[in-house]
Amino acid sequence: MKKAILYVNQFFGQIGGEEQAGTAPQIHEGQIGPAMQFAKGLDAEITHTIICGDNYMGSNTEEAVAEILGMLEDKEFGIFLAGPAFQAGRYGVACGTICKAVQEKFGVPVVTSMNVENPGVEMFKKEMYILEGGNIAAKMRKDVSAMVSVANKLINGEPVGSAAEEGYFPRGIRRQVWRADGKPASERMAEMLVKKLSGEAFETELPIPKMDRVPIAPAVKDLTRARIALVTTGGIVPAENPDRIQSASATRWGRYDITDSAQLCSGEYKTIHAGFDPTAADADPNVITPVDALKVLEKEGVYGSLHPYFYSTVGTGTTQAEAQRMAGEMIPYLEEDHVDAVIMVST
Amino acid sequence: MKLEIGNFYVKDIVFGNELSFKDGVLIIDKAAALDYIREDDRITEAELYIARPGDKIRMCPVKEAVEPRIRPDGRSIFPGYTGDLAPSGEGVTYALKNASVIVVGKHWGGFQDGIVDMSGEGQKYTHFGQLNNIVLVADTNEDFEQNEQQKKNDALRRAGHRLAEYIGNCVKELEPEETESYELEAMTRRGSETEKLPSVVYVMQPQSQMEEPGYNALVYGWDANHMLPTVMHPNEILDGALVSGSFMPVSSKWSTYDIQNCPNIKALYREHNKTINFLGIIMSNLNVALDQKERAAQFVAQIASSLGAEGAVVAEEGYGNPDADFVGCIAALEDAGIKTVGVTNECTGRDGQSQPLVTLDEKCDAIVSCGNVSELIELPAMETVLGELEALARDGLSGGWADDEILGPSVRGDGSIIMENNSMFCGDRVCGWSPKTMKEF
Amino acid sequence: MCNLIPVAKTVGANRIVPTISIPYPLGDPGTSREDQWKLRYHRTKVALESLATDIKEQTVFRV
Repeated sequence: MKKAILYVNQFFGQIGGEEQAGTAPQIHEGQIGPAMQFAKGLDAEITHTIICGDNYMGSNTEEAVAEILGMLEDKEFGIFLAGPAFQAGRYGVACGTICKAVQEKFGVPVVTSMNVENPGVEMFKKEMYILEGGNIAAKMRKDVSAMVSVANKLINGEPVGSAAEEGYFPRGIRRQVWRADGKPASERMAEMLVKKLSGEAFETELPIPKMDRVPIAPAVKDLTRARIALVTTGGIVPAENPDRIQSASATRWGRYDITDSAQLCSGEYKTIHAGFDPTAADADPNVITPVDALKVLEKEGVYGSLHPYFYSTVGTGTTQAEAQRMAGEMIPYLEEDHVDAVIMVST
Repeated sequence: MKLEIGNFYVKDIVFGNELSFKDGVLIIDKAAALDYIREDDRITEAELYIARPGDKIRMCPVKEAVEPRIRPDGRSIFPGYTGDLAPSGEGVTYALKNASVIVVGKHWGGFQDGIVDMSGEGQKYTHFGQLNNIVLVADTNEDFEQNEQQKKNDALRRAGHRLAEYIGNCVKELEPEETESYELEAMTRRGSETEKLPSVVYVMQPQSQMEEPGYNALVYGWDANHMLPTVMHPNEILDGALVSGSFMPVSSKWSTYDIQNCPNIKALYREHNKTINFLGIIMSNLNVALDQKERAAQFVAQIASSLGAEGAVVAEEGYGNPDADFVGCIAALEDAGIKTVGVTNECTGRDGQSQPLVTLDEKCDAIVSCGNVSELIELPAMETVLGELEALARDGLSGGWADDEILGPSVRGDGSIIMENNSMFCGDRVCGWSPKTMKEF
Repeated sequence: MCNLIPVAKTVGANRIVPTISIPYPLGDPGTSREDQWKLRYHRTKVALESLATDIKEQTVFRV
């Protein structure tokens, strides 16, 4: 049987109430407090219970985490559980904090539970399974049972169902699934349409997420002295595509020296972007990467100077995570050359 | 306008000495059919195969699928494309059901081509895994695009449409097993009972983003890039007026087969006179410049308003920048007070964490979602491959790759594959078949 | 610089300079080389100037 370890606070660890919230972490062999409830359904043996005061974790987070990780160092366990934390804010944040640290250090799955009002939900829901729990400890049995259901799937290597099916907070992951009833899109469409027309409640299959907001970068103070770099997602590369950047769903990028180029010549450069008709850009790559215009504007003194490389990848089908990673890899080169601002041409 | 589709259910397909249809068995004279295909002198090699559900067959690179049909009155089944221009949607068409002609490149694939598996885990990923297929595997002398990632596939796709019509001939003189009837009176003459129901238009956005001719969906043979949104009768769509193109990652594609059988249109027909008054189709398109996208959306909203539509359904054949056409069109309709449902797929990435559509608008509050183009799919080797499996890795198919630091090549030495859903042939079935949806995890 | 302003807005770009299409953002092949150059020079200059412009919210610069 696999082994599990549970984290609880001083109250559920039966040390005491608020007056004991400063208690430093301690590890006990066996099952204390909610651990006994977990043990009834869990497909793993809870070998240890870790107890830590909420205030200790809140005020000495680094030490608390380090101490607990140290306690776990020589333990064998296949899953880590914390809570349930209900609506208790400090407890919820503590559960999230320790689960995240354990998951990163030991690579084991973690499961916790919090009420929707718990601030720990917003802080940690993207990083782990947080079951949507009750607001008070009277919901203990129900919350533990929901955690056990997900934990058992993780223990047994079975697929965990969707957030709605399992009752955890969505982790910002959307995946395709086959509907159990096989109901085709056309019938779902007709039902949704009729409901929308008659003013009945209906459920969209694609809730529109909140739009990303990026802090506004301050304006360049003196354009005539600014160093500018050119970046594109339009897939302009040297004709032989030396970095083998993919034509869609790109994970690679390249930077190409334009120090001695007055423009990008057809034949020497082309686009490998598969998401649009490449004819125009192959005939004149400057229509995507305006090197010719930037060189003239540099000479005319409109801006200070051009960074000697342009940077290129392909935008079509490329995930946000990959795009962010690639940008993160480009930035050191730009910083090293004291680039003040970037022109990003997208297709 | 009234269309009657006479159905002949194909239970099996065999090769024989004559083209015929008896007791549910389609018999094809292979040599004669291949001679017919070779009448197009661009076809250099051609062979026919049969692929039934459960067969241990994988096809790649798949380019097009067409339902075999014939018109007893002699009109072409694809007017303006395989034959002379003539109105479609009125009169009688015969169809061989549960059967499809599938065109596979003998060697060369491209961005817009895909995979069909007839059994195993991969079977469920396409509609064609469930059909009796006549598979044309062929090569052409179109050397100019042999090594191009974007292929028009003109000779091969036309061969598929012509073959579908050629095979349809076998039922020309027969009595259909059943007849489906599709009839809509003129929009202004439906009677008070019908007109009490909320009126609805279906807005289609077929793929039309290539500016060079030869790639885009065709409306009566006319490049959909060169049109503004216009009104069509649903029967025209079910009866061959719209032919699929050759551009866009293929899980988003609507094959000609999908269009001939468009489940979304059939669902709206079923609701007609019960819960809605199905006015008809607004045929729009997908564009490559913002002003073109906005102009098309403006036309759609204007036409829908002028027709008195109270509801609309919008479906897009694509993802990525076409999402801007899709979302823009829904927003324009909602702004005109028309309650709109959208049907689309999503691109949330292999990790499922990317923004589902590249542009978003809170007005899109009723979306049916049919899949994630970038879902990773791993499938074991298949006994028989029709075509050339290596094309998935070599030829820039949208869901394949030559090599990857972590995942390795898409096509492995043992014949197993790893790919993105992007290359599942018409896999996301936004035309209405899709049994898939998207869930939060 | 991009043509699909709604996409740029959705992903949170703050200084947006419109281009003319997806496949050829900065030069319509249907026009003369000189016209393409004028358009490209002008819009690139607007992009440079946008970088030196103080903004309080997402801004689409006029071209």
